[in-house]
Amino acid sequence: MKVEITKGWCLKMAQIEAGAEIGAGLHSIDPIFDGDVMLSDNASHDTGIAFGRFVRLMRRNNGLTLEKLAEDADLEISELIEIEDDSRHKPELRTVYQLANFFKIPRNNLLQVAGLVTSKNDNIASEAVRFAARSESVTALTQQERLALEEFVSVLNKED
Amino acid sequence: MVAKKTMTLNLTDAEMRALDELCEKKDLSKTAVMRQALRLYQLIEGRVEKGDKLFFEDESTKEKAEVMML
Amino acid sequence: MTITISPIYLLNAETNEPETAELWDGITEKQLGDWEGEWLPELFKSVQKLHRAGIERKHWPQSRHWNWRRKTEALQGMLAQPGFAIVCNGITQGMMILDTAMKRCQLEGQKGKDIVYVDFIENAPWNRPELHEPALYRGVGSIMIRAAIALSEELEFKGRIGLHSLPQANSFYANTCGMSDLGMDADYQNLRYFEMTPEQAEAFIAKGTQA
Repeated sequence: MKVEITKGWCLKMAQIEAGAEIGAGLHSIDPIFDGDVMLSDNASHDTGIAFGRFVRLMRRNNGLTLEKLAEDADLEISELIEIEDDSRHKPELRTVYQLANFFKIPRNNLLQVAGLVTSKNDNIASEAVRFAARSESVTALTQQERLALEEFVSVLNKED
Repeated sequence: MVAKKTMTLNLTDAEMRALDELCEKKDLSKTAVMRQALRLYQLIEGRVEKGDKLFFEDESTKEKAEVMML
Repeated sequence: MTITISPIYLLNAETNEPETAELWDGITEKQLGDWEGEWLPELFKSVQKLHRAGIERKHWPQSRHWNWRRKTEALQGMLAQPGFAIVCNGITQGMMILDTAMKRCQLEGQKGKDIVYVDFIENAPWNRPELHEPALYRGVGSIMIRAAIALSEELEFKGRIGLHSLPQANSFYANTCGMSDLGMDADYQNLRYFEMTPEQAEAFIAKGTQA
């Protein structure tokens, strides 16, 4: 429906409203802000390897080139390359969000793997290390790699 | 405002009476009552289709009676 | 989904100049994309700043974790639950979801009457001074409330609206919007419930037209 509001009204009210908070409505709990998850200033090197490996295997398992993933997930290809190749690279928040949405993984859990948050739940950390150890090659996913990847994915989905 | 389409409704006497009563009670025009009825109908159908159940609860006994069975 | 766009203005607080904007009468994929790609990362950064500054969790901004996508997916195409969005400079600046069928007035004097209830309303994080100094656009809240009132009038509910305010927004709804405060609602996590009468709706609109 059309709503007729004059310019004058908008600007007058903008002045009166100023920088007021306007939020209303019930909010749902998000572990990042209200639960067990704490923000981390240091990316953990262990999970860093797992994160890069995870992204690469998920990408290949979806049959995507770096370019295609960058395009489909709306990301900078340069950062994707760094994520996959440099385990010490600390990814951008937005990048991890986009990847979590694209691969349909719970955001908070992927943030933990990416080393951007820490959690009282150590399971993800240890599973990430295990996953990194079990997944090596850069060619087509082997049966073993696929199994390892599927198992890790189910852990990430379960720990939500 | 987006252009609206006009429709003719054929109602029985009893339905017309019910409609009039609702208009009176809710201080709404016939059109407004029918539009609200449509919104409620669509909402309920949508939820029931999804698998949700609709209940009435007795305020005093807290007993629940299911409204719609698929 | 067909969207009707109404022209509006926001005040750019940095330049102190008005900027043309759009009021959309629906929440589309554009809004959800902006929420995921622009709002959330910004919210996260602000919370990180607060965390690093040692600010206690209870002072962190509320309404930072509403899952808009989950909420809108549940409401797909329902007439009873319309939404509004404000877009300025190509980015979503505010979002609101309303309920027109499931709620009734609680205020004495209009008890039981139909009402447009604000299910969710949120300002973009960069428009909120507590998160982002300096904040960017002003006026999002007022325009949204004006839209809710307009819908209420269109449905013949005479401008009646209701909402549960987050604590930091109590002042906006009590003072700027002039709504009646019905107190903390135990059924809604003790959020304060505000309701607007037709007279208050008129007064709110008149506020913006006074010299």
